[in-house]
Amino acid sequence: MEPQIGFFSFIHQESGKLLQQTITHTGLTFISVLLAIAIGLPLGILISRRQRLSGIVLGIAGVLQTIPSIALLGFMIPLLGIGAKPAIVALFLYALLPIIRNTYTGILGVDSAITEAATGMGMSTRQLLYKVQLPLAMPVILAGIRTATVINVGVATLAAYIAAGGLGEFIFGGIALNNTNMILAGAIPAALLAILFDWLIGLLQHMKSGRSRWRLYVFPAIILILSSFYLLPFEGHSKLKAGFTPEFMGRRDGNIGLKSVYGIRLQPLVISDMIMYKAAAQKTVDIISGSSTDGRAKAYDLVVLEDDKHIFPPYYAAPIVREETLSQFPELAPTLNLLAGTINDSIMTALNYQVDYLKFSPEKVAADFLHNQGLLQPARNGNKGTIRIGCKIFGDGYILANMYKMLIEGHTDLAVSTKLGLGGTKICFDALNNNQLDLYPEYSGTGLLAILQAPRSVTDSMIADKNKVYDYVSREFDSRYHIKWLPPIGFNNTYALMMRRNQATALHIRSISDLARYLEN
Amino acid sequence: MIQLSHVSKSFGNGKNAVEDISLEIADGEIMVLLGTSGCGKTTTLRMINRLLEPSAGDIFVNGKNINAIPATDLRKGIGYVLQFHGLFPHYTVMENISTVPELLGWNKDKIKARCMELMEKLKLPPDTFAAEYPAALSGGQQQRVGLARALAADPPVLLMDEPFGALDPLTRTTVRKEFKSLDELHTKTVVLVTHDIEEAVELGDRICLMNEGRIQQLGAPADLLFQPANDFVRHFFDGQRLHLELSTLKIKDIWATLPDTRLPQAYQEIAATESCWNALAALSKQALIASWDNEVKAITGDGIMNGLHTFKKQ
Repeated sequence: MEPQIGFFSFIHQESGKLLQQTITHTGLTFISVLLAIAIGLPLGILISRRQRLSGIVLGIAGVLQTIPSIALLGFMIPLLGIGAKPAIVALFLYALLPIIRNTYTGILGVDSAITEAATGMGMSTRQLLYKVQLPLAMPVILAGIRTATVINVGVATLAAYIAAGGLGEFIFGGIALNNTNMILAGAIPAALLAILFDWLIGLLQHMKSGRSRWRLYVFPAIILILSSFYLLPFEGHSKLKAGFTPEFMGRRDGNIGLKSVYGIRLQPLVISDMIMYKAAAQKTVDIISGSSTDGRAKAYDLVVLEDDKHIFPPYYAAPIVREETLSQFPELAPTLNLLAGTINDSIMTALNYQVDYLKFSPEKVAADFLHNQGLLQPARNGNKGTIRIGCKIFGDGYILANMYKMLIEGHTDLAVSTKLGLGGTKICFDALNNNQLDLYPEYSGTGLLAILQAPRSVTDSMIADKNKVYDYVSREFDSRYHIKWLPPIGFNNTYALMMRRNQATALHIRSISDLARYLEN
Repeated sequence: MIQLSHVSKSFGNGKNAVEDISLEIADGEIMVLLGTSGCGKTTTLRMINRLLEPSAGDIFVNGKNINAIPATDLRKGIGYVLQFHGLFPHYTVMENISTVPELLGWNKDKIKARCMELMEKLKLPPDTFAAEYPAALSGGQQQRVGLARALAADPPVLLMDEPFGALDPLTRTTVRKEFKSLDELHTKTVVLVTHDIEEAVELGDRICLMNEGRIQQLGAPADLLFQPANDFVRHFFDGQRLHLELSTLKIKDIWATLPDTRLPQAYQEIAATESCWNALAALSKQALIASWDNEVKAITGDGIMNGLHTFKKQ
């Protein structure tokens, strides 16, 4: 990791990407709002006439609104795959409720004397709608569109999880990489977009009713133009499609290293770790940035390309613990060390496979393993103190955290509370450093590059040697943070480029250098 | 012109809002539907332009059963004025008045000419008001725009639902006078709903007094005052009886009973077709005379009151 640079230099340096993400973000937001208007407005009109339907329609739209956004995106993937389609559908569903509800209340809110006068003068239902109800309800309807737009600017940041692009790429990349500038480079423009759109639609909304007729034409035109942003082509065409996690995108032992050391220039989709493997299996992407012990690699028959020029440093997992906690409870370290050296790469992959693919719970997998090792003891339900264990949001972490929990409860009189599935290195480490966690499993490589952000001269000198890396991070964590690295558990969960086995075989690609050669030709 | 035949209307609560009403309204007549709130007068009115459908009975306009005419066509031929005027707040005064002609597809020049004509007649100078929005108008002005809008397409029939009800008493009197003197109205068949007794007596050619969905009495104002059909009708007018009777009674009606006294020194002449009430009002300023049947007589307070008594005894 380069030394930290200022926020504005970061913006300047990444301006091309920032512009592209902003445009994609705007497009995603408005194409979904446009769809929501196209469906929500007629639905709102319908239920204002058939009020018996209003309860059911508003109820369904309300329930959709309460589904957590990340879960909604998750539901979409089996139906629509990854990328723009599921993101747009999810955003569309979020935008529906405010638009339907405001259309409905807007129309019902028109003074009954006015609608009666209009009907009494001989207007048909359609004339009543277009000449009276819609124009008079317009400020309320626009308020709904305004709400929907602001909601969607926010939710669209999550679209980066499923490879739909937008400002979330910076935000999640920044969280994963412990890079505040990168988070802000995504979060500030997203906030500004929300404020800008809110203000613009607010202008339309508060325009004098008399001069309002032009907005019936201008407003849809503007939304159409903004929606079309999403169709602007950004993705270049290369022979193979890559899907990398936000974290991988920004790391020197990631996409940056692929470019500088191997000379590979891909235009990767940014995609969440959670769906990347499936996307590779389903041929949505061809190359992914997996982690070498992930059970899904085995499940989906993906092969790891050999890192023949050594850009991926060793990632040996070990528990890192606050020194305070260790000295307060001396029995803790020996208990945690029971696991040291017991899990090698293939065991970890097999354990992950049971969780990721066979859908066993991490608790069961952890308990079975400890049982086979003769380490499982019934919980003593002690109350000597509470140890707070955290883990990041992927397979290794859940399994290891559960094992530590069972070990501590069975071998000591300490109680355990867990905070599992934290959203990235930055969140986990900050929690530990701020005394909100006592321990979590971390990787030596992550400690080196993401947390310590060691200068390039240091990393280059040790990248191929797992012991040097471990010694360096132990020393530095101790002196900088008073956090202790306990002995490694045994497996090396490093980054790895992965491809589908049959494709790799057919193209004769075994190493990353082979891949570089294939892409050049 | 308008005929209701055994019309009833129920809103499904077991009680008929309107119960077996039959009445005929002649061409050019102003028929007032009078009664307290909930007597069924507005329901009756709204059935004539099919805003409500009768539960039983038939309604004919120009001899045609209104069910045989598409509702929108029927309504375009019937002017409609509401208590809370129902002007379109997003339309200018001009656009409001143009509504029905627009629906009927008149050409632009004709619509504009018609709007100008009506605005002039209703004392809404187009230069000042044509481009204004209703919110900028006073209550009386809004009500005049509502009237102009109803008259725009020159419909033969006009339905008015408490047209002056939302105005303050002073404005109400002014607008009512203007309404009465409007030449446009003299050829129209008007059905006017009100709970204001004075308004009914002043404007109605005939009054249809309703209570609990039924007609209590139907006739000229003087009929209801001097020959009430039942106790309800008699008591209905009691509060303002003297005033109403004097308003209804013309000087010519009591001419025979007026004494042949000497004419005063200084006097004002009043038409014998004026009401006794107006004569009393004028008497408070100066002495009056009137002429009828080639006779000239002095009009005095005593004479009028004696005349009223004699008239009621007949």
